[in-house]
Amino acid sequence: MSGFPILSIVVFTPLVGALVVAVAPSRYARSLALAASLVAWVVSLLLLVGFDPNGPGGRPFQLEEAINWIPLFGIQYKVGVDGLSLILVVLTTTLTWVSILASFAPIKDRIKEYMVSFLILEVGMIGVFVALDTFLFYIFWEVVLVPMYLIIGIWGGANRIYATIKFVLYTLVGSLLMLVAILATAFAYQSSTGSWTGAFDFERLHVANFDPNLQIFAFLAFFLAFAIKVPMFPFHTWLPDAHVQAPTAGSVILAAIMLKLGAYGFIRFALPLFPAAAHTFGPAIIVLSLIAIIYGAVVALVQPDLKKLIAYSSVSHMGFVTLGIFVFNQQGMDGAILQMVNHGLITGALFLLVGVIYERTHDRTLAKMGGLAAAMPVYAVALGFFVFASVGLPGLSGFVGEFLVLVGAFEYAPLVAAVATFCMIFAAGYLLWMYQRMAFGEISEFFKSLGHHLTDMTPTEILTLAPLAALIVVFGLFPGLVLDLVRGSVTAVLADAGRQGPIAIATQTALVLVAVPILYVIGRVIWVARIDLSGGGASGGSAIEPVASPEGVS
Amino acid sequence: VSADLNTIAPLIVAILTALLILVVDLIAPNRPTPVIGAALIGLAVTAAVTIAVGSGSIATATTAYGGMYRLDALTTFLDLLFISVVAMTIVFAPDYLTPRGLPVAEFATVLVFAMCGAMVIAASADLLLLFLGLELMVLPGYLLAGYHKSDNYSTEGAIKYFLLGSFSSAIFLFGLAFVWGLSGSTSIATVASTLTRVATGAEPFSPGLAMGFAFLTTGVAFKIAAVPFHYWTPDAYQGSPTPVTGYLSVGPKIGAFALILRLFVEALGPMKADWLPVVIVLAATTMTLGNLVALTQDNVKRMLGYSSIAHTGYMLVGLAAFAGGQRQGLEGLLFYGAAYSFMNLGAFAVIAALQKRAGVTSGLSTFAGLGRKEPILGLLMVLFLLSLTGIPPTAGFFAKALIIVAAVQAGGWVGFLAVLMVLNAAAAAFYYLRVVVYMYMRDPASDAPALRHGRLLWGGLATATILTIGLGFFPGLILGIVGDAAKAIAG
Repeated sequence: MSGFPILSIVVFTPLVGALVVAVAPSRYARSLALAASLVAWVVSLLLLVGFDPNGPGGRPFQLEEAINWIPLFGIQYKVGVDGLSLILVVLTTTLTWVSILASFAPIKDRIKEYMVSFLILEVGMIGVFVALDTFLFYIFWEVVLVPMYLIIGIWGGANRIYATIKFVLYTLVGSLLMLVAILATAFAYQSSTGSWTGAFDFERLHVANFDPNLQIFAFLAFFLAFAIKVPMFPFHTWLPDAHVQAPTAGSVILAAIMLKLGAYGFIRFALPLFPAAAHTFGPAIIVLSLIAIIYGAVVALVQPDLKKLIAYSSVSHMGFVTLGIFVFNQQGMDGAILQMVNHGLITGALFLLVGVIYERTHDRTLAKMGGLAAAMPVYAVALGFFVFASVGLPGLSGFVGEFLVLVGAFEYAPLVAAVATFCMIFAAGYLLWMYQRMAFGEISEFFKSLGHHLTDMTPTEILTLAPLAALIVVFGLFPGLVLDLVRGSVTAVLADAGRQGPIAIATQTALVLVAVPILYVIGRVIWVARIDLSGGGASGGSAIEPVASPEGVS
Repeated sequence: VSADLNTIAPLIVAILTALLILVVDLIAPNRPTPVIGAALIGLAVTAAVTIAVGSGSIATATTAYGGMYRLDALTTFLDLLFISVVAMTIVFAPDYLTPRGLPVAEFATVLVFAMCGAMVIAASADLLLLFLGLELMVLPGYLLAGYHKSDNYSTEGAIKYFLLGSFSSAIFLFGLAFVWGLSGSTSIATVASTLTRVATGAEPFSPGLAMGFAFLTTGVAFKIAAVPFHYWTPDAYQGSPTPVTGYLSVGPKIGAFALILRLFVEALGPMKADWLPVVIVLAATTMTLGNLVALTQDNVKRMLGYSSIAHTGYMLVGLAAFAGGQRQGLEGLLFYGAAYSFMNLGAFAVIAALQKRAGVTSGLSTFAGLGRKEPILGLLMVLFLLSLTGIPPTAGFFAKALIIVAAVQAGGWVGFLAVLMVLNAAAAAFYYLRVVVYMYMRDPASDAPALRHGRLLWGGLATATILTIGLGFFPGLILGIVGDAAKAIAG
């Protein structure tokens, strides 16, 4: 450890902010929380200045800090950044202050607790991106869970308790198995070197070639944790519930940052630590990604609820990320990382826009909307901009990421790229249709009934969206800004992942992994068809939605 | 003789403390403050003496009374744990007992006597002394369970606890008789060396010995409330006055685990390959069934009762890891015992504090809106529940991690237990978080104003909080002594 602990300052500034908000009177909670998140943002921008993209050495971790924490097991507080973590840290700090600003008006109840939760959430998210010790990584990973649980559960919609418990249980099952895998790898390292020193240190572990059996088990455990978080099909069912019930800012963070935690976990840990297993399961995961891309898009097409539509589009877009990661080539990985950033910006913005309309109407049903272009012209323009970004209009950032992933996928297997391309058509379909229904035509009866409540966007709302729009344009025109920054990370990850080829024995397991979701889809289709045939009133759209018990917890 | 007396000094001071409390109560009857003051001073002296006497016996054990009494790192660690458990229970009790007209002095005295029993177990090097300690520990427990004698549930719970408890003691004693008869000695060291010969095949593994093992396992399984010997727990826990429940879920459980460490690890250690399968099955069923039933409970005390069964299962995983060849399993067990004591006592203290107003039940609805009505109490409850769930950075998380490490290292079926354990922990999150749902996501059921809580209660809660967070951030604080304690019995 050398010099100024600037990374720790980024991580713990929000924590200090949370403590200050907790003891200060409630009326200052908003401004103090915003101040804390802005300070964290500024410091994270300083990181960007201090970071050297052509940094020294094989593994370009920079600004490292390491302190022995539990020496008996070689557990350290060790943090450091490479280009990948850096860009995600900056994304986190940016979206956190945007979200806090966007919460000023909607959150009226228990504002202090809300802001404290949000700042602690930021600590956890930044911590995940900078942790270089697997144990520390796990701790930050779990720290994220609790504030989000509270944010959805306290400030969420009508069915919030069901949604939040589902979110926690899904995430916890995955992450606890990951804990077992983390401990198992540490022990494997300990028994091969005879000492606990460095048994949790990523910089040592990523060059340790673990035994194939351990790799398979550990990779599957990591995979489950990350796949639930991303979320990959078929582990995605918590996402629509969580998104629909969460308050606007919660949805923004959930979509923009928390889904990235899973993708980041794949790139940072799963691939370098278990290359052989990653190659073994790679084809199966690509199939799952393709299913996610198409399934998410198809289901989004029929959603009656605006928020649910965007939630399912997230499933589809995140499918591109996992696809790009597991084709194991430069373009795919570049595209995946770019897509992570873009999805964060675009989907974050879309959820903010949903929040804007929900604030005024307290309704998100698409069927009730129409004619916004006349009623709220500024809003309609903003929505149009982000919708086109999400569709992947060239010149905006969404395009470059998906394009690179498709190039990578084509290099891997043309068929994969061909299937994935379908998604772009679907995306254009559901998003433009959504936009058409909302913005064009006559002003709907529902909007007319609201009368003067249906005001256009306020300056604060425009302020929250402006930075996201600016970044989308900048990254769309100059994707090199991101790509240059992450080049070192991509090379290092691919080098780590290229150390070993697939394990032959596990082919059957891989097949099972593919077969299960396919059977699931068939079962689902039959289930939906059964309802439609019976003609019991359920329309095709609502039949596809996950079955939610009205009172999950009582 | 004076050397012997010196060795058992902690025990003597503990008994004197119990007597002191009685005397103070005679002088100033029915006044909780002097009684609690005397108890806390006495316990502090006991702890100081324990440390002073025990620090000389960390590396090598000291024995007394012809080898019946053994003072080593394990004894010292467990003694300190028992003392802190009892001290915290006494601190939490008045808020619950006084409004219900229950005397504090008798409560404290009986509790300290139970502590003496547990301390005897922790220091036993002889089967007879072990049984003596066990009985001394559990008899006060029966009294305490029925402490609220005008309350039907309390009496019912006490009777169930007493009947099954004495029944299991008899079974346990029967098992001891078999082992004694077939090994020719009640000394743990002699039993161990006889069993070593059996394990190596120099002597036959007689059916009588197998019967003895079966009875011993059954008896102990009753005491730690392992499934399927757990039926007394929920009723005893729900019926008892809340501070007593807190104590019962911690004190006798850790005491029974002390018994396991002395009996199974030390005396029956050579045969561990034979009892390992039994422990694996017990651990798997205990944690799974405990959690599944806890999922359906609407009464928080009863829910914590079942969850304590699940925690027993987790600790048994540590024992299984030891039998699978990893001494770290014992370290995990001991650390878990300490972490579990503090977080569980903390959770019960919050319930006891809420029940300060007589007539308040421990149903889930009592917790509705607590986060708004009593923010600090709510926040602490969240902390304890998160720790019980095993969310970092709390003591409960590190304790689980330690046991999982050992189980993964042991491999085989024990490694499978590690996976089962984390799946159970995920299921447990549901019912722990449900309390949080009630506290923060529902509105209060009644408009009753917030209660005022005594300084003692806040002090005790602060201690539990500091320990729960402190052991999570800096587990190294007690890992040293825990390691020494494990070494003392497992070599």
